[in-house]
Amino acid sequence: MIGNVRRFEPFGQAPIRVIDDDGRWVAPFACDLDEARLRAIYRDMRRARRFDERLSTLQRQGKVSFVASAAGHEATQVGAAHALDAGRDWTFPYYRDLALALALGWPLAEALAQQMASRIDPARGRQMPAHPGSAALRIFTTASAIASHVPPAVGSAMAQKLAGRGDVTLCSFGDGATSEGDWHAALNLAGAQGAPAVFLCQNNGYAISVAFRHQSGSADVATKAHAYGMPGYRVDGMDPLAAYYVTRQAVEHAREGLGPALIEALVYRYGPHSNADDDGRYRPADEVAAWRRRDPIARYRRYLEGRGLWDDAAEAALAAEVKAEIDDAVRANEAAGRAPLGWMFDDVFADLPPHLRRQRDELAAAHELERDGH
Amino acid sequence: MAAQTIVQTVARTLAEEMARDERVVLLGEDVGKRGGVFLATEGLFDRFGPDRVIDTPLSEAAIIGAAIGMAVHGMRPVAEIQFADYVFPGFDQLVSQAAKLRYRSGGGFSAPMVVRMPAGGGVAGGHHHSQNPESHFVHTPGLQVVYPSTPGDTRGLLRSAVRGDDPVVFMEPKRLYRAVKEELPDDDATIPIGRARLRREGDDVVLISYGASMAETLKAADALAAQGVSADVIDLRSLLPWDQDLVLERVARVGRVVVISEAPRTLSFASEVAATIAEEALDLLEAPPARVTGFDVPYPYAQDRAYLPGPDRILRAVQRVLDY
Ligand SMILES: Cc1ncc(C[n+]2csc(CCOP(=O)(O)OP(=O)(O)O)c2C)c(N)n1
Ligand SMILES: [Mg+2]
Repeated sequence: MIGNVRRFEPFGQAPIRVIDDDGRWVAPFACDLDEARLRAIYRDMRRARRFDERLSTLQRQGKVSFVASAAGHEATQVGAAHALDAGRDWTFPYYRDLALALALGWPLAEALAQQMASRIDPARGRQMPAHPGSAALRIFTTASAIASHVPPAVGSAMAQKLAGRGDVTLCSFGDGATSEGDWHAALNLAGAQGAPAVFLCQNNGYAISVAFRHQSGSADVATKAHAYGMPGYRVDGMDPLAAYYVTRQAVEHAREGLGPALIEALVYRYGPHSNADDDGRYRPADEVAAWRRRDPIARYRRYLEGRGLWDDAAEAALAAEVKAEIDDAVRANEAAGRAPLGWMFDDVFADLPPHLRRQRDELAAAHELERDGH
Repeated sequence: MAAQTIVQTVARTLAEEMARDERVVLLGEDVGKRGGVFLATEGLFDRFGPDRVIDTPLSEAAIIGAAIGMAVHGMRPVAEIQFADYVFPGFDQLVSQAAKLRYRSGGGFSAPMVVRMPAGGGVAGGHHHSQNPESHFVHTPGLQVVYPSTPGDTRGLLRSAVRGDDPVVFMEPKRLYRAVKEELPDDDATIPIGRARLRREGDDVVLISYGASMAETLKAADALAAQGVSADVIDLRSLLPWDQDLVLERVARVGRVVVISEAPRTLSFASEVAATIAEEALDLLEAPPARVTGFDVPYPYAQDRAYLPGPDRILRAVQRVLDY
């Protein structure tokens, strides 16, 4: 526990904040993060935003087929990532979790390989873009099917409980996901089992065009935790330190065997749902502008600057470093080329069964196939 | 009326049905203000209001289940599943409730409803935005299943689906949503569910397909024509019930047949058609019926186009059947 007390009470009215919109510390406890960690949180948000912007450019250039931007969600994703023990704990992300995956250590070149389905993608180009996952980092491969990952996340937490090592599972999703039956079945099971799971809802107020008031008769998502016997926290999701400290508390409780928690982070997606969406059809431009003025990166920078931990020189150095990193990743993936045709038949099963061998031969009759299945 | 695409035809037909019968209501994710993510319900929210064009929470079980409950009350719900790939959270409602309602109540209850869903690949969508799950539905007694490929057939079949007394799974070929246009007459004609359509007449081989694969099938027929091979082309349009009479009649005439479907091969609808032909018309065949289908792998992302049974693969199968 943070300083051995429960810092945050569940089911509060006002969203939990640690720094305010001007970047001033407002929490009733002192910051216990070292300077390196505080800077890393900034770097992870900024880097994710820049990468996100480049992905949109690559999409317009026809090099990436789809983008679901995380812009506006970075504070929550990065804050939560820093509260986990990356590589030890498990994460079950959804498609908007690029900043979360990067902050957990997903190498940027690998992340780009996923978007481009290039030959150096460890997942072998199997997923459409915006589907993070890394077996090496215990980041469960994303499924497009909303909320379908929530029951498996609970199973992961149950396995961790049985193993008894104090590891936890973080499961992330949007507000729309909370309407699926799988979501309710999973939270109910987690509550009944006392599974060490942390459920992170990134409530951006919309599921594509459907506003939250049409998504649920509940005033908010956090309230739903009550029915499943776990604490529910509402957090200002544009405050990375609030996301960090609340997730940290939930993670620590789960590690200690105190069971699951649900965190509702209030965020906003700056852009349309995806490059295929036209958000002008369903939300007013001034609403978007108002949220953009609360940008979490600018807000957190004010906090760091107030403590003398950041300045224009640091910003310029970071921008150059991130640009070079992204440029290198683009070059490496373009050089690698796309996942080849012959990979289509691998990984359906552990071994290629006879009927797939025949179908592979059939495709080979039409195309030159590489014989390099793994 | 100017020529219309399939997706425009869906919106227009729904509007006409809603104007004709106030029991018709729409429900689904983003069908309201957004007009559907493919715009298949564009303009309907403004015209008919939120009571008849219902933006639901993100739950396919709730969408399909609620449609059943409304249908039991004598309403005519048309549910939209945003992608056929996302029907599975609502699959239990379709299979356990909708499909068996009439049967298990001895006709006391029924679910006259339509569940629309865009299906099919070739859109760089990967395994969760490209599937063709028609076999699941065809394999569930109590569901009617249609999968048209032209604006005119979409309109006639959608009318029948809305006006019919049984639950209909209405699959729409999203790859063709904006690819084909047709000028539609100002009539109220319906197309009976279960009736196929002869799209081309030929003497050398019968090509049978439906849904999005019709586009590749017709391309293959063109290529064959250029080689001097004339193909009969059947668009099944309805998969359950399906038009065995037309199929057997044409196959009996020609004796050579290739069935094309982009769903995975094993237990695909193409298999059902081929098996029926083998059983009913073996002595009239000059060659074994051939299938050209998707492969038995999850729909691949990086190999999106190669997965599809394109004209090249259809032509190779035709050659095999001709050379037999
Ligand atoms: C089971 C299922 N149904 C429908 C969809 C189509 N779909 C993709 S994203 C989305 C909205 C999700 O909204 P939310 O959970 O709030 O996440 P956000 O995109 O806002 O971050 C929908 C309906 C899907 N992917 N899966
Ligand atoms: Mg949302």
